[in-house]
Amino acid sequence: MVEKKRSKRFQTLEDRPVHKDGFIGEWIETGLIAMGSPNDPKPSVKVSGGKIVEMDGKRREDFDMIDQFIADYAIDVSITEEAMSKSDVELARMLVDINTPAEEVRKIFGGLTPAKLAAVVDKLNIVEIMMAMQKMRVRQTPKNQAHVTSATDNPVMLACDAAEAAYRGFAEIETTVAVFKYGPLNALSLLVGSQVGRPGVLTQDALEESFELEIGMRGLTAYAETVSVYGTEGVFVDGDDTPWSKAFLASCYASRGIKMRFTSGTGSEVQMGAAEGKSMLYLEARCILITKGAGVQGLQNGSISVIGVPGAVPSGLRAVAAENLLTMAMGMEVASGNDQTFSHSDLRRTARTIPQLFPGTDLIFSGYSAVPNCDNMFAGSNWDIEDIDDYLALQRDFKVDGGVRPVLEEDVIAVRNKAARALQAVYEELGFPPITDEEVEAATYANTSKDVPPRNIPEDVKAADRIMKEGITGVDVIKALVKRGYRDVAEAILMMMKQRISGDYLQTSAWIDESGYVWSAINDPNTYQGPMTGYQMSPERWEEIKDVPWAIRAEDV
Amino acid sequence: MAMELNEQLIAELVRKTLKEVMGSANTPVDAAPRGGESKNHLKVEDYPVASKRPELLKTPTGKALEDVNLDNLMSGKVGFEDLRITPEALEYQAQIAEAAGKAQVAMNLRRSAELIKVPDKKLLEIYNALRPRRSTKQELLDIADELESQYNAVVNAKMIREAADVYERRGLLKSA
Repeated sequence: MVEKKRSKRFQTLEDRPVHKDGFIGEWIETGLIAMGSPNDPKPSVKVSGGKIVEMDGKRREDFDMIDQFIADYAIDVSITEEAMSKSDVELARMLVDINTPAEEVRKIFGGLTPAKLAAVVDKLNIVEIMMAMQKMRVRQTPKNQAHVTSATDNPVMLACDAAEAAYRGFAEIETTVAVFKYGPLNALSLLVGSQVGRPGVLTQDALEESFELEIGMRGLTAYAETVSVYGTEGVFVDGDDTPWSKAFLASCYASRGIKMRFTSGTGSEVQMGAAEGKSMLYLEARCILITKGAGVQGLQNGSISVIGVPGAVPSGLRAVAAENLLTMAMGMEVASGNDQTFSHSDLRRTARTIPQLFPGTDLIFSGYSAVPNCDNMFAGSNWDIEDIDDYLALQRDFKVDGGVRPVLEEDVIAVRNKAARALQAVYEELGFPPITDEEVEAATYANTSKDVPPRNIPEDVKAADRIMKEGITGVDVIKALVKRGYRDVAEAILMMMKQRISGDYLQTSAWIDESGYVWSAINDPNTYQGPMTGYQMSPERWEEIKDVPWAIRAEDV
Repeated sequence: MAMELNEQLIAELVRKTLKEVMGSANTPVDAAPRGGESKNHLKVEDYPVASKRPELLKTPTGKALEDVNLDNLMSGKVGFEDLRITPEALEYQAQIAEAAGKAQVAMNLRRSAELIKVPDKKLLEIYNALRPRRSTKQELLDIADELESQYNAVVNAKMIREAADVYERRGLLKSA
C-alpha cells in the first residue's frame, strides 16, 4: 500500500480548531436545512367571517394545534389579506428601508403567516438582516444578560459573581444548578449579590416551570425565561405542553407580577427528531407567532442550546440572526442567544456574535457567561468571563454598546466582598449553615469555584429545603439585611419586590435602572430611521467604553 | 322551515334596531374598565405608572405605593401580602400596552388580572391539567366552569373550553 502523499499545508489546516467543529450538508428529509426547505408550505391566507380559514396551504379543518393558535391569536385578520398580497421582496425591502418607520412595518408584518415571514427574511443577506435589526429592535437602548453559575453551587461564589456581573453592567442575570436541590439557595445568592452589584438588576433561576413560578412568587427571583415553545405539534407534545398550556402559564406569571419571556430556537425540532422536513427558520417563525399570540412580551431565541445544529449547516448562522429579526418585527423583546458553546474556533465564535452585537438587540446575549467556562452550568456560553476584555475591546474598537463597561480590579474586589458579607449575614439570620470569614475572603479574590473551600452539601441542601417548606420570601431576606446593617441592599431588594405592585416591568423589553425607574419599549421605543437617529451613545457612555484600564493614556507618556 | 326563517329575520331586525338605538345614545358597550372601578384610561405617557401616576396604585390591602417602605416593612405596617399586583394595576398596564399597539400583550394582562384571586396551588393544577393527555374533555370543561363561576375568570374559561375542543380534534385528551 502506498500512502497518499499529503500536503503539509492541508495537514496544518486540519489541525486548526475549526476542524473540531461539526459541519454537515443539507439533509432535507430530516429538517437539516436552515432556510427555504422545498417542504416548507407555500405562503397563503384566506379569511371568511372574520376568521382565517386557510393558512399556508392548509384548510382550517386540517390545522394542527399550532396552526389554529397562530391563526386565531397571532395574525391580524384585518390586514392579513392585504399584507400577504405583497411580494416577498417588497416586504423584505420594507424591513431595511430607513424611510419606512418600524411601526408601519410592524403593522403590515402583523398580517403575515409563518411561511411568508420565513420567505421574506430569506430575501435578506446578513448585512441587511443587521440593518433591519437596528431599525426593528423594540427598545432603543441595547442591554445584555449574564449567566452566573457555579460548578459546586457554592453560594458565596454565586453571590460574588452575581455582584461582579451586575457591577460590570449586565441588566439581567440568570442562574441554574449543578445539583437540582440547590435551586432555592442559588436564587438567594443571586438576589443578594446582584443588588449589591447594581440595584435594579433582574435575576432568574432556570430550573423547571413550576419551581420557577413558585420561587418568583416568593420574590426571590424577578423574571423567568425558560418557558419553551416548539414549531411542530409532535415536538410540542413531546415537550409536554401545548400553546394553550403555555399561554395559561404566561398569564400565571403576570398575575403574580413576574416578568417572563418564552424560549425557542432554530434546530430544536431537528434535534428532537420531528421537524417534518421543514426548514429550521420556518418552524421558528411558528414559535415566534405562538409567543406573540400568547401575549408574551418577549422571546429568547437565536437557536439557544441547539446552536450546534444551525451552526453545522449552510447559512445556519444567518438563519439564527433572521429569527432574532423576526421576533423584533413581531414587536417583541428578543434575548438573542449567543449563550452556548458551539465552536472550537475563536474566529467563528466571535463572528457568530457580530450580527447581534453590532446592530444591538434588547439583550445581546442570553447570556454571556460572567463566570469561567468551567463554572458554567448551562454547558458553557459562546463568550465567558475569560473573554470579557476582548469584548470590552470590541465595544471600543467599533464604538458599539454591548451593554457592559470596563471596571477596576479594586472596585470589583470591593463589591464581591460586600456581596459575600451580606450573604453571610443573611445565612446567619436565617439559621443556615454558616459562611465563614475564610470563605468570604476566598470568594472575594477567587476566579473559579475551585478557589473556595468546599461546603457541606447535605447541610446546604437542608437549608434549601427550608426555604421552600417554611415559605421564606424576599421579605425575610430584607429583614435579615436590615438587622445586620445592610440597609442599602435591603432597600434595593424591596425596590425590586415593589415592582410587582405597578407591573411596569411586565411591559415589552423592560429593564430597571439603579433608581428603580423602569425602561421598556413603551418609554424608550426604537426610533431609528437612518444615520444620526435611533440609539445614539451618550458622551458619558462613550467615555466609559473608551476608558479600558489597560490602555496607555496620552497624558502618562 | 318558513316559520324558522321568519323568527330569524325578526331576531335580526331586533338586534339591528337595538344596535342603532345604542349607537345613537352613544353608550359604547363594554366601555367600563375591567378589573376596577376606576374611570382612568391610561396612555403611553402615563408609563411607568409607578413614577408618572403613583397615586393610582394601591397594594392588595389598600396601602398607597409610598407607604411601602423599609420602615413600614420592619414595623409590620406593610408585609409580603402588599408586594403583589392588583387587577387594577394589570388593567392599567393592559391599557398602556393597547395604546402602544400591543393587542396580544394587553389580552394576556387581562387574562392575568382574572387569575390574581386564584390560589397558587390551583393555578399550577390547572396548568398541569392543560398539558397534553392529562385531562378528559369533561375535566377541562369543569375547570372552565369553576374558573368562571368561582373567580369570574371569563376569558380564561373561554380559552380552556377552546383548548378542550382543539385537544379533542387533535387527539390530545386523556384516554378515558
